[in-house]
Amino acid sequence: MKRLISFFRRQPIWAILLGIIVITSLFRPDFLAVGNLLNILVQSAVNGMLAIGMTYLMINGYFALSVGTVMGFTAALTIGLQPLSIPVAVIIAIAAGAGIGAINGFFVAKAKVNAFVVTLGSFIGVRGLIYIYTGENALVGQNYDFFDFGASRVLGVPTLFLIMLAFAIIGEFGLRRTAHGRRTYAIGGNVEAAENAGIPVHRTVFLNFVLCGATAAIGGVLLAARLNAATPGLGWPDTNLMTIATVVLGGTSLTGGSGSVTRTLGGLLTLGVLYNVLNLFNVQSYYNLLLTGLVLILVVYVDSSLKTKRQQTFR
Amino acid sequence: MRKISALLTTVILMVALVGVVFAGGQQEGGMEAAADDDTIVIGHTANNVGIDSYQTTHDRVWRETVAAMDGVETVQLDAGGDVALQLSQVEDLIQQNVDVIAIWPVNGDALVPGARRAQEAGIPVIIVNSLIAEEGYEFVEGFAGPNTYQQGVNGAIAMIEALDGEGQVVDLMGLPGYVTAINRSGGFHDHIEENAPGIEIIATEPTDWNRAKATEVMENLLVRFGDEIDGVYVADDNVGIGALNAMREAGVAGDIVMTSACMFGEGYDAMEEGLLYSSNYQSPAEDAINAVEMAVAVANGEEVEFWNYFETPIVTMDNMDEFERPNF
Repeated sequence: MKRLISFFRRQPIWAILLGIIVITSLFRPDFLAVGNLLNILVQSAVNGMLAIGMTYLMINGYFALSVGTVMGFTAALTIGLQPLSIPVAVIIAIAAGAGIGAINGFFVAKAKVNAFVVTLGSFIGVRGLIYIYTGENALVGQNYDFFDFGASRVLGVPTLFLIMLAFAIIGEFGLRRTAHGRRTYAIGGNVEAAENAGIPVHRTVFLNFVLCGATAAIGGVLLAARLNAATPGLGWPDTNLMTIATVVLGGTSLTGGSGSVTRTLGGLLTLGVLYNVLNLFNVQSYYNLLLTGLVLILVVYVDSSLKTKRQQTFR
Repeated sequence: MRKISALLTTVILMVALVGVVFAGGQQEGGMEAAADDDTIVIGHTANNVGIDSYQTTHDRVWRETVAAMDGVETVQLDAGGDVALQLSQVEDLIQQNVDVIAIWPVNGDALVPGARRAQEAGIPVIIVNSLIAEEGYEFVEGFAGPNTYQQGVNGAIAMIEALDGEGQVVDLMGLPGYVTAINRSGGFHDHIEENAPGIEIIATEPTDWNRAKATEVMENLLVRFGDEIDGVYVADDNVGIGALNAMREAGVAGDIVMTSACMFGEGYDAMEEGLLYSSNYQSPAEDAINAVEMAVAVANGEEVEFWNYFETPIVTMDNMDEFERPNF
């Protein structure tokens, strides 16, 4: 119990998630229906993939505005290249995402251009690529095996969610246990100190941009499996901002230096549950957005006030 | 201690939020989704409610129509123009075990998996306003919306009347590859070819539903054919206004007869000025009412036609005062 309280103090998002779940199930027991909960999981898979890479980047002190259109572009590639066989299509799509990430990373880390500007540029540019590649039409998958895979379950749990969860576990491990993870925290915390300590700052930042592009691309692949189609509008206009919101909601700092993939998962599930709950209550979608915005501000406020308190206690 | 009180505050705030939402939901009248066996629950996922007043009016009339019916409720969702979100909403509606799912597709191709899933779950689906791709026909009960082919025919009827069956015309179509654009253009072509040997369609050009592109296309056509053009048929009034801007610039507005497939507010104004000969009145209210009625019939297990069109009457200068100016 004590450990649980201390966990909730460190990651209040999980307490909030639990609160929403408990309250909702009092009013609407059917919220807890297995099918409903599984819906929330499968619907979180794509956004979760995007948020994992974004978590690395944000701990590093940066963010990418291009994840939404990268997701759309790679979904289109996954569908459009199906004639080459599914594995080839998936590999090319992920390579394309990593490539766009590498371009972002090069301009930010090596050329020292502002990350906002660079990723805004690729956000817009990649949208152009989507239109060029799709010819403004929806691409429809001809391979029903791929689609059936997207709808499949392992031991009753949606496969797409399990894939995302596997990446989240690897992601959390990578942050905590690898040199790259520790460097990411160090740079996000204090670049100068990190540089003085001999940490390869450029390479770490570059790698995180590549990573963020690659996970966005995996998100695109999962989305393609879910829809069996790709439309030119995928990921436009606000997928990128919702991804950043997911990570921030989890409690990862916008300025870098702290955060974790576990926190991001909390943010992801909270947004997913909140959306589901508001639909269950048949709330008009405008209120839905309004409440999501309010919750975001509220949670970040609570988190930051707890953090100040933590620091006062421990220092 | 203050940490805990901060947490408590949050939880209390959440309760308050959920409470507000709960009350709001109850006022909307859609709370007890599928709870009562006698009540018909229509699950609806709309394309993008905030994007234009056609869709906003459609959404409002849908709610009003359902509220006025006994024993019918609706769960009203908005996909916000996002195909992935629309699929999620279809999944949620399946999970809520509504009696019928009505979908206004964000994209006719990307919706096919959702319709298939609903059918597998044994919940009937109807498609509203814009068509699903043809591969999806087998998964749905039918379509409720405008007869876009007939709108094209109406454009041709008016054109033949205005030109007395003689002349050269151009067709400014919507976005190629989209059913509405293909039907509006096809209905026009077919009717002209079958009924007016004296009228020749000298060009058919895509405008992508884009006003600026329509202006550009019309400018080029005026350069190419000059005063050989007697009539212009446009895919909707938005395209028509674009074409009209080009004609105004060239000083030929009013000399060339223009007929349109779908009336917008600005087209109504142009008709008052005498610059638009005819259009079709497509009312979002009629659209919504027609769709709700079809959804209820399907939920009641009645046999329904696959194609359920609502009337989109032809509007000309003579009868335009019978119609209100469209608010979109």
